[in-house]
Amino acid sequence: MRFFKLLMYCFLSVFILIGCGGPPEDNPLLKEAKNNFQEAENDSAIVTNAPVALKEAEEALQESERLWEEKAGKELVDHHAYISKQKVAIARETAKLNAAQDEVERAESQRQKVLIKARKAEAIAAEKRAEEALSQAEKERREAQKARERAEELAERVNKLEAERTERGLVLTLGDVLFDFDKATLKSGGERAVEKLAQFMKEYPNRNVMIEGFTDTVGPADYNKQLSRRRANSVRQALQNKGISFSRIQVRGYGERYPVASNNTESGRQQNRRVEVIISDAEGNIDERTTSD
Amino acid sequence: MISFNRLLKNNVILVLYVGIALVLVSCASTKPPTQELARTEAVINQADQVGAEEYAPLEIREARKKLQQARELESEEKYEEAKRMAIRAEVDAELAEAKTLSEKAQNAVKQLRESIKLLKEEIRRKQRGQ
Repeated sequence: MRFFKLLMYCFLSVFILIGCGGPPEDNPLLKEAKNNFQEAENDSAIVTNAPVALKEAEEALQESERLWEEKAGKELVDHHAYISKQKVAIARETAKLNAAQDEVERAESQRQKVLIKARKAEAIAAEKRAEEALSQAEKERREAQKARERAEELAERVNKLEAERTERGLVLTLGDVLFDFDKATLKSGGERAVEKLAQFMKEYPNRNVMIEGFTDTVGPADYNKQLSRRRANSVRQALQNKGISFSRIQVRGYGERYPVASNNTESGRQQNRRVEVIISDAEGNIDERTTSD
Repeated sequence: MISFNRLLKNNVILVLYVGIALVLVSCASTKPPTQELARTEAVINQADQVGAEEYAPLEIREARKKLQQARELESEEKYEEAKRMAIRAEVDAELAEAKTLSEKAQNAVKQLRESIKLLKEEIRRKQRGQ
């Protein structure tokens, strides 16, 4: 009997030794919870923004560790480790939430600033548009003024040319006295008139001319026609000599046609012996004489 | 050979200790975890209301699953386990709620930043355009 009793105690103490001695089995969930907690504890954002959840995580972790050391059931140890792990996750989300809320506040005030800037930019743009409209109006006014001045200048130049305004445009008449009798050569007076015309054409390069020659009815019509043409040509030649392009000058010899006065009197005949220079409009166009005249 | 009765007689203290321990364990599990289950349900509802289904679907489903398991354990009269399961479900729901709120706030930040970016572009375009 004694032997058995001794044996009993031996077994008991062995069991107790086995139970107490040796490290407890590793618990992976507890390990994970511990790591997570330590990581969170070192994160200043979590420590400041979610102290309550972090504290709860710590308590659950300690409970889990205590149970583990006391070799409580795995389910119990796991339970508290799980609570700790989830509390750490909650602490993380809470920290993120707080950070985001701070960010929202900052971003909102930034947005306000940008909005003010946008309105300012809008105002500046409107101002700029107004200024541009003003300066455009001013520019147009100046251009109109210039055009007027040019027109006045032209009028003045035309006056100097002693040209006449007619339905066909400006017409400069070179009288009979500017040519030698029965010849096409220009006299010095005619040269001066051509000089003025050339000057005018240089100043107004868009204006072309048509030179038309006319005679009285003395002498054969064919001859007169040729003479009128030669006289017109010599005016063209004179203009070319002054540097006016050939292409800007048209020539017509009408002879006895289109008299401006009666051919029955000497003074009338003198008026009919003439060369007319028709100055084009600003686009360079000149109406042709119509035969019905 | 020694009989079992004889063994018991010689270890009265040990037997008593085991008996007391058994009683204590069974006493602790006699009460159903009604309070915990109710609280867990409330937290799940709260998380649902802020939109956890959209922003933290895994967490909220996990919470619901655990709540269901807790109820099953309760019906099996495993009250202690049921209570712990309910508590785990509760922290899952809490996490779902925290995550939802955090995601929403982060979305708000993103949208604000986007709006600021667009505003700035608009300003630049106006300044360039004029």
